[in-house]
Amino acid sequence: MYEERFDKRKFDELRPIEAETGIIPNADGSARFRIGNTEAIAAVYGPTEVKPKHLEKLDRAVIMCKYDMMSFSVPDRAKPGVDRRDMEIGEVITNALNRAVMVEEFPKSMIGVYVYVTQADAGTRCASLTAASMACADAGLPMRDLIAAVAAGTVGDSVVLDLTKEEEDYEGGTTDVPIAFLPSKNEIVLLQLDGAVSREDMKKVIEVGKVGALKIYEIEKEALKRRFSNESKS
Amino acid sequence: MTQFKNYDIVTPGELLAEGGIGGEGTYMEQEKVFSKYFGMVSMNGNIINIRPLSGKYVPEEGDDIIGKIVEVSDKYWTVNIDVPYSTRIDIRDVGFRVAPGDLASIMDVDDLVYAKIERVTTNRTVDLGMRTPRYTKLPSKMIAKIDPTKIPRLIGKEGSMINTIKDATKCDIIVGQNGIIWVNGPKEQVDLALMAINLVNDKYYDPDLVNRVKELLHYV
Repeated sequence: MYEERFDKRKFDELRPIEAETGIIPNADGSARFRIGNTEAIAAVYGPTEVKPKHLEKLDRAVIMCKYDMMSFSVPDRAKPGVDRRDMEIGEVITNALNRAVMVEEFPKSMIGVYVYVTQADAGTRCASLTAASMACADAGLPMRDLIAAVAAGTVGDSVVLDLTKEEEDYEGGTTDVPIAFLPSKNEIVLLQLDGAVSREDMKKVIEVGKVGALKIYEIEKEALKRRFSNESKS
Repeated sequence: MTQFKNYDIVTPGELLAEGGIGGEGTYMEQEKVFSKYFGMVSMNGNIINIRPLSGKYVPEEGDDIIGKIVEVSDKYWTVNIDVPYSTRIDIRDVGFRVAPGDLASIMDVDDLVYAKIERVTTNRTVDLGMRTPRYTKLPSKMIAKIDPTKIPRLIGKEGSMINTIKDATKCDIIVGQNGIIWVNGPKEQVDLALMAINLVNDKYYDPDLVNRVKELLHYV
């Protein structure tokens, strides 16, 4: 039985969150998103000319996403460069962003999204996706909504929100379900499942994830607006 | 109706109004108006417009822009105007006489040009034109770059902001819609003008911007 979480959080409580935008002056848009010990930074460039040229689409922009973990982000040094896992995550982030960003407004162009994980403690793809969507908004791209992503799942037989690495490795069996929402549209843009879960539990997991995502959404909005309200006071 | 007012900051996907019509920078879904950009509200009567706070220039026909020649061919110049699409000035679109093959004698690589966007074709190539004497090659002087979304603010209502800067600094200033600004004058005056332009760039969302700029120009 998993009755109390390792870090004493409630089962539906998120880890402490920090978010800010405009951290990379050279990029058109950038953001940093930190949840507990997981931190991701994202930079967005574009729309620019498509390179390589054969990937160009006549009716919309292509989003190119690179996800990478810094070699110091995990206890055992991660080999630098994009491996198979990074490619997969880059792909799911691209798919989610394609739903959020109005790519049809920039035919024959490319939007480059670069996400780096500086610290990893589970839920990196969710943190990366959240950071990437904030960076896209900061870059002034037209978007249907911001993306709020969070991992939910089961540990033992409890439904929990925002798993840590410790919980993911729990011997009693865990399920990790990264979920990403367009909160104002109530639309799921990313849903993956690692482990086994019953139909009833899955419904609960998504419900818990949605509540968590809405909280993240508010933090994202606040982080974007903060940059402009603070400066105007000074 | 909506509870938003001018200079409010909104994020993409923020609900602006139930029903009604949205203006620029908004989109409709299920009869509701949402914001498309991370931007600033600008009301026009009952219509709500969102002006993005950042973003790249999207070429539009009729815009006056400043670009840099990057390549000279037999019958056209290739120009960099900071857009994702290939941009050219064809010799048919210029008002002066030029012999094919002798283009470099008029405008060479790295020269700045002030030109007008004649057309944006359906397959997204941009044709520039220099048909009237207004559009010329610019001597290489100081250029400034600001976000294209802030150009309307820099110009101000009927040019009020840019004229304030021009009058106070006695500089020649040409503003390209693509965010490139050409400034010419004595060194100190150019520096002052650039300071004012940078202030507009940084404090773009300040409702009291005109007075801030005036303060800066008279204080220095």
